[in-house]
Amino acid sequence: MSTEALTQLSNTTFGITLILYLLAAVASFHHLAFHRRGVLTTGRVMGWTGLAVHAASVVSRGLAAGRVPWGNLYEYVTVVGLLVVAAYLFTERVWRTEALGGFVLALVVAGMGGATLIYVPPGPLVPALNSYWLRIHVVMAMIGSALFTLGFVFTVLSLLQVRKERRHAAALTPARAPALVGADGGGERPADYVPAEEPDGSSAPAAPRGRLPSATTLDRLAYRTIVFAFPIWTMAVIFGAIWAEEAWGRYWGWDPKEVWSFITWVVFAAYLHARATVGWRGTRAAVLAIVGFGALVFNLIVVNTVIAGLHSYAG
Amino acid sequence: MPSFSETTYRSVVAVWRTLRSMRTALILLLLVAVASVFGSLVPQVNTAPGAVADLFRDRPLQAAVYRALGLFDVYGSWWFTLAYVLLLISLASCLVPRTRALFRGLRQQPQPVGDLQGMRLFAEGVVRGDTDVALDRSRRILRRRRFRVAPAAPGLAAEKGAARENGSLIFHWSLFLLLVGVVIGKGFGFTAQATVIEGETWTESHASYDLPPQEGRFFGEGMHAGFQLRVEDFDASYHPSGVPRDFVTRVEVIDSAGRSTGERQIRVNEPLSFQGVKVYQQGYGWAPVIDVRRDGRPLTEHPVVFVTDTPNDQRQPWRGVIKLPSLRPQVGLEFELFPDPVAGVAGAPMLEARNPFLSFQAWRGDLRLTAAQSVFSLDKRGLRPWRSGGIGLGQSTTLPGGLTVSFPELREYTQFLVKRDPGTWIMLAAALLIVLGLIPALYSSRRRVWVRAVAADGDGTLLQVGGFALQRRAAFEEEFRALADELVG
Repeated sequence: MSTEALTQLSNTTFGITLILYLLAAVASFHHLAFHRRGVLTTGRVMGWTGLAVHAASVVSRGLAAGRVPWGNLYEYVTVVGLLVVAAYLFTERVWRTEALGGFVLALVVAGMGGATLIYVPPGPLVPALNSYWLRIHVVMAMIGSALFTLGFVFTVLSLLQVRKERRHAAALTPARAPALVGADGGGERPADYVPAEEPDGSSAPAAPRGRLPSATTLDRLAYRTIVFAFPIWTMAVIFGAIWAEEAWGRYWGWDPKEVWSFITWVVFAAYLHARATVGWRGTRAAVLAIVGFGALVFNLIVVNTVIAGLHSYAG
Repeated sequence: MPSFSETTYRSVVAVWRTLRSMRTALILLLLVAVASVFGSLVPQVNTAPGAVADLFRDRPLQAAVYRALGLFDVYGSWWFTLAYVLLLISLASCLVPRTRALFRGLRQQPQPVGDLQGMRLFAEGVVRGDTDVALDRSRRILRRRRFRVAPAAPGLAAEKGAARENGSLIFHWSLFLLLVGVVIGKGFGFTAQATVIEGETWTESHASYDLPPQEGRFFGEGMHAGFQLRVEDFDASYHPSGVPRDFVTRVEVIDSAGRSTGERQIRVNEPLSFQGVKVYQQGYGWAPVIDVRRDGRPLTEHPVVFVTDTPNDQRQPWRGVIKLPSLRPQVGLEFELFPDPVAGVAGAPMLEARNPFLSFQAWRGDLRLTAAQSVFSLDKRGLRPWRSGGIGLGQSTTLPGGLTVSFPELREYTQFLVKRDPGTWIMLAAALLIVLGLIPALYSSRRRVWVRAVAADGDGTLLQVGGFALQRRAAFEEEFRALADELVG
C-alpha cells in the first residue's frame, strides 16, 4: 500500500475507534443506570472491537511513516489511549470491574479527540529522535502514563464512592456514622491493607451487578495500578537520562520535560508513602494521586505546546 | 530548672524526631516538587539565557525581584538546596536505624515460640513421629517454599520476603549514591564547546575552546586529554520535505602521543568517546574562505566562521565580518552569505550550497579594537559606510586603494560539545540499584510462620502452625492454608 493509502487507513480507523469507544461508554453508563445485561455485553464487544481497530490505526500509522508510531505528540497520545483501554479491559477481565468502562473510555475519547487538534501527517524523525532509545524510553513513558491514567480514574471513583457510602451510612445510623475503611485514622497498617472480609482477586465479583464497586475495592485497584506504574515510570525517567547523556551530553539538565517528569515521580512517591502514614492515608493519599496525574497531563500538554525546551520537537 | 545545654539538647532531639517522621518526609517531598515547578515556569539562566536577558530588558523591576529570589537559577538556589538537603537528612535519619536493625536482625536468634492459638491464621494436627522427626519434616517443607527457618524452642520460626525491606533500603540509599555521582562528575569533569572548520585539526586542551571550559573544582588545566581531532568533513543531509535527516562529522582521531587511531564519525545520538572525554555533534555552519589582498599582498586568507540568528529557519543569510586594523584608515567588512541564492530569493530554506553568493558592506574609520568586542560584528561607532558589493564563489572584486576581495572556497564548520564526567558510571550504578531495589520493595511481602511441636500421646506429635503477613494479607491467607495442609495434614 502507498503512504497515502496507509495514512488514509490510519485516519479512518482512528475515527471508527472513537465512535466505537463512545458507544461502548454509553452502553456502560446505561448499564450502570438501568442494569441491563444485554446492553453491557454489547458495550463490551464494542470496547474490544474498538481496541482492535485502534491497534490497526496505530500500526498503519507506523507503516505510513516507516518508523515506530510514536514520533510526535499526536501519535504519543494515540498510543497512550490504546494502552489505557488495553490495561482497562485486562483489569476488567481479571478483577471483574465491569461498571467502570464508561469513565475510562470517556476519558480516552476526550484525550484522543484533543489529539486531533494537533494532528500532523506522518513524516520522518529529526536526527535527535532517531535512536533506539526512542523505543525504550518512550515505550516506558507511554506504559507508565497509561497506568497512571487508569489509576487516576479508579482514584476519583473511589473518592466519589467514599462520599456516597458516608452519606449512605449517615442515613442508616444518623447518631453514629461508622468509620469508613480507606478513609479512617486507625493505627499503623501496611500500605495495601484490606479487611479480611473483602474478597480478593477474581474469586468473587467485585461488586453487585450494575453498581460501582465499593470504595475499598476501588481504592485497592487504584493502589495496585499505581504501584505497578511507579517502577515503570522510574525506568522511563532513567532511560530518558541515559538517552539525554547520549544525545545532549548530559544526563540531567532541568529541561521542562525533565522537571515535570521528576515532579510526577515525586508526587507518586509521596502517594506511596502517604498510604503508610497515619493521617495521610485515605482521602489525602487519593488527592496526591490526582495531583500526580495533573502533573502528568501538564507535562504532556503545557510543556509540549507552551513552554519551549529541548523536547519541543515532541509537538 | 533545666540548664541551657539540656534545653539545647532537648530541642535538638525534638528537631531530630520531627525530621524522622514520615509526615515530615512527605511534606519535604512535596516541597521539592513545588519548588521544581518554578524552574519550569521562569526562564533559567542555564537553559534559556536569552529569555532571561529579554526579561531584564522588558521588565527590569520584575527581573530584579526574580533575581533576588533566585528564580533564574532555581535548581542552584539556596532554598531549593535547603529543601532537598532537609529531605535527604530526613531520609538518612529514617534509614540509619532501619539499616542497623537489619544487621542486628541477621545475628539475632528468634524468640521462643509461644502460644499460637490466638493467631488469626492458625492450624494444628497430630503427625507421626517424635517431635524431632516432625520438626525435621516441617523444616524441609518450609525451606522448599523458600522460607528462612531458624530453631525456636519448642519449634521453628520461619520468615520470607526480607527482600521487601532490603530492597527498600537499597532503593533509598541509592538516592544518596546519585548525589555522590553528581558531585564527583561535576568536581572532576568539565564541559566546553569547540568550533572546528573542515580541514582543521583541533586539540583537546584548555586553550582550544570557544569560551573557557567550565571545569570542576578538582579538575586541573593539565588534566585535559590532549588528543587531536582532524575534521575531514561535515555533512548535513535533509529529507525532500526539508526535515533534517542526519548531521555527521568525519574525524581522524589522533591520540595524545600523536598516533592516528583511525577515522570515526560523530553524529547526533552517536558521540565519540575517547580517553575519558566525550565529543558530541552540537552545531554546524558555513565558513567561506575569504581572501583580502592589498596590491597583491595577502592581508587575510582564512576561512571565516559565519553565524545565523535563526538556526531553525535557514531562509535568512549567514553573517560574518573581517576586520582589517592594519589599514589606515581601518577597514571593516560585513558579509552576508547566501548558500543557495535561488532558493533564498524564492523564500525557501537555503539548506545546501548551490552557487553560493557573498554580499558585503565595507566600513572605514576606527574599529575601536582597544575595547573587547565580538568577532561576529563591527563596533560601528567610529565607522562610516564606504563601499558595498557582491561576489560569487571563485570570483573577486576590487575596491579603491588596491584592495581585492575574493571568495575562492566555501567550507563548513562543525560545533562540538565536549565533556568529561567521571560520575556517569556512579549515576548508572545508582540507577540500576534504584530499579533493583524498588521492585522487591513494592511487590514482595514479608510473612512469618511459626511451628510449635509438642509430644502427643503414643507415637505422634502435635504440630501447631501460626502465620502472619505484614503486607498482602488476603493473598497470604491462601498461601498459609496450602502450607498448613502440607505441614499438619
